[in-house]
Amino acid sequence: MTPRHSAFARRLAPVLLCLAGLWLEPAARASETADTAGVRNFDLDEVVVTGVRTPKLLKDVPVQTRLITRRDIERADATDIRDLLQAEMPGVEFSYAMNQQTHLNFNGQGGQSILFLVDGERLAGETMDDVDFSRLDMANVDHIEIVKGASSALYGSNAGGGVINIITRKAAKPWRVNGDARWSKHNEQRYNLSVTARGSKISNVLTGSFYDIDNYNVKSAPDPVTRVIGTVYGSRVWNARERITYQPLDNLKLSGRAGYYFRQLTREADAPERYRDFTAGLRGEWGITENDRLEVAYSFDQYDKSDYYRRSKRDVRSYSNVQNGVRALYNHTFGNEDILTAGADFLYNYMLNTKLDDRRRRETWADAFLQYDWTIDPRWEVVGAVRYDYISDGDMSRVTPKVSARYKPHQDVNIRLGYGMGFRAPTLKEKYYSFDMAGIWIVNGNPNLKSETSHNVTLSADYTHGNYNITVSGYYNNIRNKITTGVPYYRPDDPTELYLDYVNLNRFTVWGGEITLQGKWINGLGARVSYAYTDEHQVRDKGGNNVANQYIPARKHSLTCRLDWGKEFSKVYTLNVSLNGRVLSGVKNVEFRDYYDISKGTVTVNYPAYTLWKLSVSQRFTRYVTLNLAVDNIFNYKPRYYYLNCPLTDGAALQVGLAFDLY
Amino acid sequence: MLKVNGILTGLAMAAVLTGCEGVFGGIYDEPDNRGEVTVNGTLYVDASDWTQWHYLDLHQLADSVAADSTYNTSLAWRTFDIPTEPLIDPDPGDRNGIYTYWYDVFGAGISVNEFRDFYPTALQPEPDSWTIAVHRNNVRTNGCEAAVTGLTDIDEIPDNPEYLDGLTYRADEWNERDVWVIRDRMLSGLIGNQGMEVNPVLSSWLRVDIPPMPPAFTMNPEVFVLRLPDGTYAAIQLQDYVSSEGVKCCLTIKYRYPL
Repeated sequence: MTPRHSAFARRLAPVLLCLAGLWLEPAARASETADTAGVRNFDLDEVVVTGVRTPKLLKDVPVQTRLITRRDIERADATDIRDLLQAEMPGVEFSYAMNQQTHLNFNGQGGQSILFLVDGERLAGETMDDVDFSRLDMANVDHIEIVKGASSALYGSNAGGGVINIITRKAAKPWRVNGDARWSKHNEQRYNLSVTARGSKISNVLTGSFYDIDNYNVKSAPDPVTRVIGTVYGSRVWNARERITYQPLDNLKLSGRAGYYFRQLTREADAPERYRDFTAGLRGEWGITENDRLEVAYSFDQYDKSDYYRRSKRDVRSYSNVQNGVRALYNHTFGNEDILTAGADFLYNYMLNTKLDDRRRRETWADAFLQYDWTIDPRWEVVGAVRYDYISDGDMSRVTPKVSARYKPHQDVNIRLGYGMGFRAPTLKEKYYSFDMAGIWIVNGNPNLKSETSHNVTLSADYTHGNYNITVSGYYNNIRNKITTGVPYYRPDDPTELYLDYVNLNRFTVWGGEITLQGKWINGLGARVSYAYTDEHQVRDKGGNNVANQYIPARKHSLTCRLDWGKEFSKVYTLNVSLNGRVLSGVKNVEFRDYYDISKGTVTVNYPAYTLWKLSVSQRFTRYVTLNLAVDNIFNYKPRYYYLNCPLTDGAALQVGLAFDLY
Repeated sequence: MLKVNGILTGLAMAAVLTGCEGVFGGIYDEPDNRGEVTVNGTLYVDASDWTQWHYLDLHQLADSVAADSTYNTSLAWRTFDIPTEPLIDPDPGDRNGIYTYWYDVFGAGISVNEFRDFYPTALQPEPDSWTIAVHRNNVRTNGCEAAVTGLTDIDEIPDNPEYLDGLTYRADEWNERDVWVIRDRMLSGLIGNQGMEVNPVLSSWLRVDIPPMPPAFTMNPEVFVLRLPDGTYAAIQLQDYVSSEGVKCCLTIKYRYPL
């Protein structure tokens, strides 16, 4: 065994420990049956809404839904959605563009095919086709629902690969003030504060957060074979949100929300980049009868990018995406528990971008959808949905169907099968972009782009009994007309300038599977191991030729692991210890030897495997104060080359945190 | 508290309901052309083009300002293209031309570089009379020398000869890897540079670093003193390098001439 293999094996040792933990003898609670213990242990009695747009218990929902609870978020000590997804989900990786804009790969699906929602509402703005992940901080998140597979029939464009719905916390007590602070290397600071109040008819949630980390340099070994990162850019982030809810009647609830987000990234001292978001919304939920429920909502989201020129004290905006949407959703529950859901959305999408032809573009989206949830018997449930989408720019329309079935052959077993058609309309940027990228090439939009369509099949089975839960799932996704940038080329009329156009590729397929083993024991020990396999097939052009992908493909093998133990020693002292890890295999990517002469062919670049582990110790004193100590990257992993898909760590980092909770 | 929060939320909602194409636009500054009209003491030049030098004659500028105090000093610049076509019949030993270097743009950075090839071109055209010329972050002079003062307020530069003579001056020096002209193979790290004498002191007023990518610009706010061949002195200072539309290498320069 080579020294490198030996080191890798040593780092895998905690995985084996986790696996061993799964076979510990459980100590069942005497008053509880194995069935109820399983439901309690694995949150199967939590209500989720994303998969079918109606509230369902996790154990009954016919569409496989991964739930990340508040407790999971706290255990991961996640700052934003990136931290959380990487800690909780195998098959999730964030890579970077040359300017370090972040790109998500989620089981082979890019960020442009994963729809992020906050309380069911879309987010405006994108960079590299991904939302601004820093917006999605975890300060006030109650739980997160993740539905893999095409959900365009319920959520429209961009939901071809799945939906991640972040559900924020509600006011549950007459009053509550909680917050936390965390400090780490590179002057990393994080502060969160949440104030909630609940009256007989009015409740309120006010949340603020601040995060700051300095830029820091990383050093690669000599002679990298592809692009590397030299400076990791930190950022300063402010986030504030307010939500007020008024319930004048038992069956009527009105809520309003407003939020502000600000991030500053200092790539150049004289011209820091600024990102802002203004968001607001109104929602009314009316229980018309015991079986009829109507929800109407208005949502506003504005995402801006600007550069602040310190010398002249000017803040010049280069990008603004404004989305105004209205939505109606109606559910009727029949006597036999079947549910009919009907809905419609209208969205006005405005974009200002100095890199767009004509700088300003406008379009409207409209859609209507219908879903029927048929509970055939206690074992069988089938849901069918169909949706019609219309997008004014280019006069595009699309019908997308979806059908899902749940079969319960035994009280501990659920089997789910689903088919969905995915759909992604080309964005205004993809159609009208015109950007000279630092002289490297000119990125051009293509007004003739077709919509991406995909066919997605998922199959999953889960077994829950007492202290154990096992979930196995598989999926296949076949995408036609995938939208991406194509092969660089010289125009006959401009042989000195390289152009890179957005194109539709012929086909792109990805298939994979995931297996998760969980155990939870009454002695305070818990363990979870998730392994994901992803096989992302090389994209091809219309001629069937391989083309280089601007994004690095998914790693075939990835694994996340968590081992935690907690004990309440007394009313005033509780100890929790948690070990989180992730292991990712290497990945190969086909890249052009010379982007200026693609006749020289391609070269296969090997991006190495890596593993990262975090050890956390949390001590709660009374019910009010918690002291958190953690070592992130405990094996002091430092990439030999800081390639664009490596973890941006420069070694182990001590994290010290303090949290309080008053109510 | 609930009532106050309700009112605030209501106001925020009212604001956004009127904002189909955005709200709070007033917090941003609109691009304008105010920087392009300058008067005595300030200059503006768009030096962002990779293939042009912009020339300034301080004597002529001083005469124009003396004749008309409202003279738009930004009109004093004259622009000449950089020759990039290979000479068909070059003289042996001719060193004017394009020097292609490979820079480790995506690795260790541009400080690591290697010569790759050279081809001669025509001489750089220039006006009959000029004092300094600018090209992006490069500055050259017509027989002048330059010194850095350590001061950041141009009005504090003493005009007594003892001070001015006591500074450390450097003349222009031959350079073949800083005047970036041809960038069509930049992704491969290959950049064509004009072989040219440039002033290393004045050119330090705006530094370009790679990494990061895109490049990072760092401005030196110090005042520089220029000693002209006729023995007169000028003070010049880079005040800004970004246009109102965010274009880099659009230079706003403060000057005093003669001292």
